[in-house]
Order: sequence, then C-alpha cells, then structure tokens
Amino acid sequence: MICFNEINKWYGSYHALIDINAEVKKGEVVVVCGPSGSGKSTLIRTVNRLEEVKSGQLLFDGNDIHAPMTSMTLNRLRSRIGFVFQSFNLFPHLSVLENIMMSPMRVRGVNRTDARAKAQQLLDRVGLSNKAGAYPAQLSGGQQQRVAIARALAMEPPAMLFDEPTSALDPEMVGEVLTVMRGLANDGMTMMCVTHEMNFAREVADQIWFMDAGRILEKATPQAFFNSPQHPRAQRFLSDLRAH
Amino acid sequence: MKNFDLTAILLNGEFGAMLLKGIRLTLEIAAGSWLLAMSLALVLLVVRLTPNVIAQRAVAAYVSYHRNVPTLVQLMLWYFGISSLLPNDVQGWLSEHNGEALFAIIALGLCQAAYFSEDLRSGLRSVPDGQTEAARALGHGYLGAMRFVILPQAVRNAVPALVNHSVSLFKNSSLAMAIGVAELTHAVKEIESQSFRTFETYLIATVLYLVFSLLIMAAGAWLSRRHSITGTR
Amino acid sequence: MTDLYQILRDNWLLLLVGQYPNGPMGGIVCTLLLSVLGIALAFPLSVLMALARLSPWRILRWPTTGLVYVVRGVPLLMVILWVYFLVPVLIGRNVSGFTTMLCTLVIYEGAYLSEVVRAGIQALPRGQLEAARALGNSYLGAMWSVILPQALYNMLPSLLSQFVSAVKETTLGYVINVQELTFAANQINNQLLTKPFHVFFILAVTYYVVCYTLTQLAHALERRVTKKRQGRQDVAPPSQQAANVVAGA
Repeated sequence: MICFNEINKWYGSYHALIDINAEVKKGEVVVVCGPSGSGKSTLIRTVNRLEEVKSGQLLFDGNDIHAPMTSMTLNRLRSRIGFVFQSFNLFPHLSVLENIMMSPMRVRGVNRTDARAKAQQLLDRVGLSNKAGAYPAQLSGGQQQRVAIARALAMEPPAMLFDEPTSALDPEMVGEVLTVMRGLANDGMTMMCVTHEMNFAREVADQIWFMDAGRILEKATPQAFFNSPQHPRAQRFLSDLRAH
Repeated sequence: MKNFDLTAILLNGEFGAMLLKGIRLTLEIAAGSWLLAMSLALVLLVVRLTPNVIAQRAVAAYVSYHRNVPTLVQLMLWYFGISSLLPNDVQGWLSEHNGEALFAIIALGLCQAAYFSEDLRSGLRSVPDGQTEAARALGHGYLGAMRFVILPQAVRNAVPALVNHSVSLFKNSSLAMAIGVAELTHAVKEIESQSFRTFETYLIATVLYLVFSLLIMAAGAWLSRRHSITGTR
Repeated sequence: MTDLYQILRDNWLLLLVGQYPNGPMGGIVCTLLLSVLGIALAFPLSVLMALARLSPWRILRWPTTGLVYVVRGVPLLMVILWVYFLVPVLIGRNVSGFTTMLCTLVIYEGAYLSEVVRAGIQALPRGQLEAARALGNSYLGAMWSVILPQALYNMLPSLLSQFVSAVKETTLGYVINVQELTFAANQINNQLLTKPFHVFFILAVTYYVVCYTLTQLAHALERRVTKKRQGRQDVAPPSQQAANVVAGA
C-alpha cells in the first residue's frame, strides 16, 4: 500500500532521510519509533507530501506521490490518505460535526444529509456522540484528537497516518485515543504510526521500524524488536526507555 | 468662562445648519474613504499573496510610502500637486463640483488601504500553519483551504486592528479642513470665529467626535462578539 | 527632474531651518525639535499615567482612563484647537504656535504612550512583581527598580515608533502657522506657484526618508531586544506583546 523506494531528503548539508527502503502492506500496522531528531515525523509527512523528497519513489496505492503532477491530482491523492497531527489542528471556527462533514462535502461533493449522517456515525465510533454541536475549544485534548481521527476517517481513506498522536496529550487522556486507534487496527485499517507508546506498539503493530539519524536501522516484529533488538542503537534506545 | 451657554450654538439656526453640514461632510468623507480603503486593501492583499516577487515588492512599497509620509502631506500632494497635473478642463470641473472632498476621499482612502491591508495580512499570518496543513491533508486545494479554513479565522483575528484603524480613518477626516472642505472641524472654527463662544463650540465638536468614535468601537466589539469562535474568550 | 533639483537647490535652506535667523527656527530642524521635545516631555507623563491606570485606586484610574479615551477618540486637530484656546486662558498671555504645538504633542503622545507603557508593564511576567514584593519592596519601589527598567527596555522599539508618529503629527502645526517643514514647503509653493507637484513631491520624499530611516532603526532595535530575551523562545517579541495587550484591553 505504501512503498518507500530509495527515498532521500536533504537540504543544504543536512541529510534528513537516508536511503529509506520499506513497505507497509495492505492491512498492516507499522509503528515508527526512535530518538527525537531521527526523522520519523519527516518520513511520515513525505507520504502525503507535506514534506518533499529529493530523490526516490514513494508509492501510495500504486501512485507515485512525488512525481510532478497538477495540484488537483495531488489534492485528490491526499484526500485518500488520512493524516492525524500531533497538535490535532481542528478547525476552531467550525463545530465538531462541521469539522468532520466539511471535507467530504467540499472535496468529494457528498451532499449535506449524507455527510451529516456519516459524521454522526463516526462520532459514535470514536465515543463522542453527544459532542456534535460542541466547538473544539470546549473539548479536552483527548476529545479533540478523537474528533481529528473521525475527521480523517470521514474521507474513507484506505490508509491512515498518525504523527505522534498522543505526544501532546496529558497522560490520562492518552488511553482514550489509543483505544480508538486499536479499534481501527482491529478493523483491518492500514496504519503507519509515529509514536512513543511502546505498549501500544507491542499489542497492535505488525512491524516496528526503528529510526535514527535519518535511517531505518531495524525493521522487526514487535516480538523480535522488544525481546532481542539487533542494532546496538536500538538496544540503547530500548534500555533508555526501560530505565524510567 | 463667562455665561456658558450651549443653546446659543445649538439652537441658533445658522450655526445649527453649519454644524449639520459639517457632520454630513465628515460622515461622507469617512464613509467614502473607508469603502475605498477596504476594497483596495483586499486587492492589495490578493496581489501580495501571488507568488510574483515584483507584485509583492510593489505592494510593500505602496504600504511603506503611505505609512511613512504624513497623511496631511499626502493630502496636499494630491490636492495641490496631482490636481495641477490634470488637464485644465478636468481641473475646472473639479473645482466646481466639490473637488476638495473628492481628493480628500481619494487621499485618505489610499492611505488607510495600506494600513488595512497590513492588518489583514497580520490576520492571515496569525492563523497557525497547522491549519493549512490539516486542510491540505484532507484534500482541499489552495482556494478551498483559504475559503473554508484560513480566511474565516484570519478575518476574525484582524477585526480589532481593523476597528482601530477605522477610528483613525474617521478622525483623519478632519484633515480635509486643510484643503478647504467644510467638514465638522472647519464648521466649528467658522462658528467659533463668528460667535466667540469658543468653549461651547469646541465642546460640541469634541462630544460629536467622541460619540462617533465610540460608536465605531462599539460596532467593532459587537461584530467581534457575534462572530467569535465559540469556546474562546 | 531638473526642476526638482532646481527647487531643492534654491530652497534647501528654507526647508532645513525655515527663516532662521531672520525668524523662528523652522523647516526640518523645527520638525525634529518639536518631535524630540514632544516625546521627551510626553514620556514621563505617560509613565505616570500608565501607573495611574494600573493603580488599585479608582480615583486615579478613572480620570486617567477617561482622558486617554477622550484623546484617542478625538482628532489631533481638535486637540490643537483646544490647546490653542486654553493655554493662553490658563497662563494669562499669548503663546507662540511652537509652544502650542509642543503642548498638544505632549498631551496627545502622552496618552498614546501611556498605552504603550501600560502594555509593556503588563507584558512582563507577574512573577517579577511578586518576587520584588516578596523581597520586601513597596509597590512603587518594586515598580521603580524592577518593573519599569525591564518594561522600558522592552518598549524601546515601540517608543521609537511613537517618535515616528510624532514626526508625522508635527505636520498639523501647519494649520496654526508653526514654521515647520510642511509650512516651509507651502511657502515655497506660494512663491513658485507653477510647480506644486514638484514642491510637494520633495516634501513627501523628505518625510519618507526621515520616517523610513527611523522605522528601520526601530526594527533593528526590536531584533536586538528580542535577541537579548532569547532564552524565552515561547514569548512573542516585545512590540507584539504590547500589541497583544493593547488589542486585548
């Protein structure tokens, strides 16, 4: 579903992504982890071209995202890739329901009634049925992130990308968001997540990619990764995590 | 202050008429220049947003000129300077048809357009980048993102500055007096020189200006409240 | 083009110093003199007014707030007319246009500056005042030795901006025959009569050069002041802080 072929990104003398070769198969859940500055956010943002690449091929469902294309084509491709941001980025001037309804209506031409019904359905799915008329500023962080997930799901994407979805949340709200993500994974959604939540990775991920300094140093199943990491940097990372 | 008597001014037919004419002209100039300023500001903003570097620099130069040259001087340049460059019959037509007021509206409007466009630009810049990213990630194009996500927020953010500058615009209408427009300040000076009741006349003008300024500010506050984003202060 | 050069060459002295020494000091020198004196005198007044507006006593707060609102709601021309009328009445004798204009600037800029000062004080973290009081300082003592020095340093760019405004405001002295730069230009125009565009173009360019230079200086100062506070990267630059507080108030 998502194919990285020799992806490289640099600006000036700084090499942000080095020789990335990896694949997220359909229905797989991949967790990308690593120390800060490793390039994990940059990597996930190249998938829907929020970041450009200097060389290489990035295929999403067979389409090269970084090939030259009209903005209309790019918009259409992006609408098929769900993206959840660390800082939620809900639209503050729209109600929760409007946040979710707006893009299907404006980008896909879905009519208002259908969009509203689907939006309500998605709100039920993320556990916020009674917040349809609320505005983002009235919600807690965990609630906002769940609305953001529903907003991304409203476009019916074949894959979802999560860029540190719980890093900006207070600890007690992390659980509610992870529950929604777990539900999605169980329903067979193709997911790529950048996260520090190792328990979540252990339970839900099919693959773990460990990154440092722009490279993917290790790709393994959660079993293999957590019990016997191969790369010395990965070993150090895991022992640092356990230390506290 | 010997025998303070407001009615001597207010109830006097001739003075009353002068006052009313002054108020009317002040409001006309303020309204005319506001409309010109706002429309031009929108045009300037759109031009500034194009990727053309020359266009951007041109707008920046426009703003720089109007912010660094005193408004009175701009007015003089228009009324004394540019009018002299116009063909003679146009000049004749203008002097018969209240050309001074027209030049005042043009000069004040062009000047405030610079300030308004900067306010709108600040409003745009104050919308966090994450909003654009989220809109683009959902598949909206540039125009769609602007229309549904960015502009609604940008305009709300710009309102306080726009209201402040609208009050400035209104007050600047008094500068038209320097080129002979019979607006409120001019009328007040006339009345004062005829009636010798300086204190009362000035007081009336002050109150009138204050009332209008406060009205504009109140309108701005109402607008702000009505369209405020629910959940924020 | 040669016309412009000709006019400049013939009249540069008038534009620079007015009719001095055969009359009062005029031209650009007068403009700058008015602006500098105006801001210099307005500044202490504005600090007092800002402190009054922030004080816990209504008897200080209300009249000051009222005065600021009135001055901000009324055109500068009106304030000039008031001062022109009241000052002779209050001190019993006539005053020159220069003095009138100076008084007007002090009052007008004083009111606007007091808002800048107030914003600058309010933009400082609350902890500063609390720490100063906790160490035993009185309110005014804390203000004098801790709050004001920091607030005023942060406000330097805004102060410079207000100075630029003052330069632009001096042009209204023309209306009461103060011999500043705009008045000088009008004198030239009344003599020449045939080249109004050139004269006023020169006038506009002169003001532009002066104000633009000062504004760039203010930007450079702002960068310097922001750099000094670089530790706090979550804090907006001082003029933005001031703008936030003023807009929010």
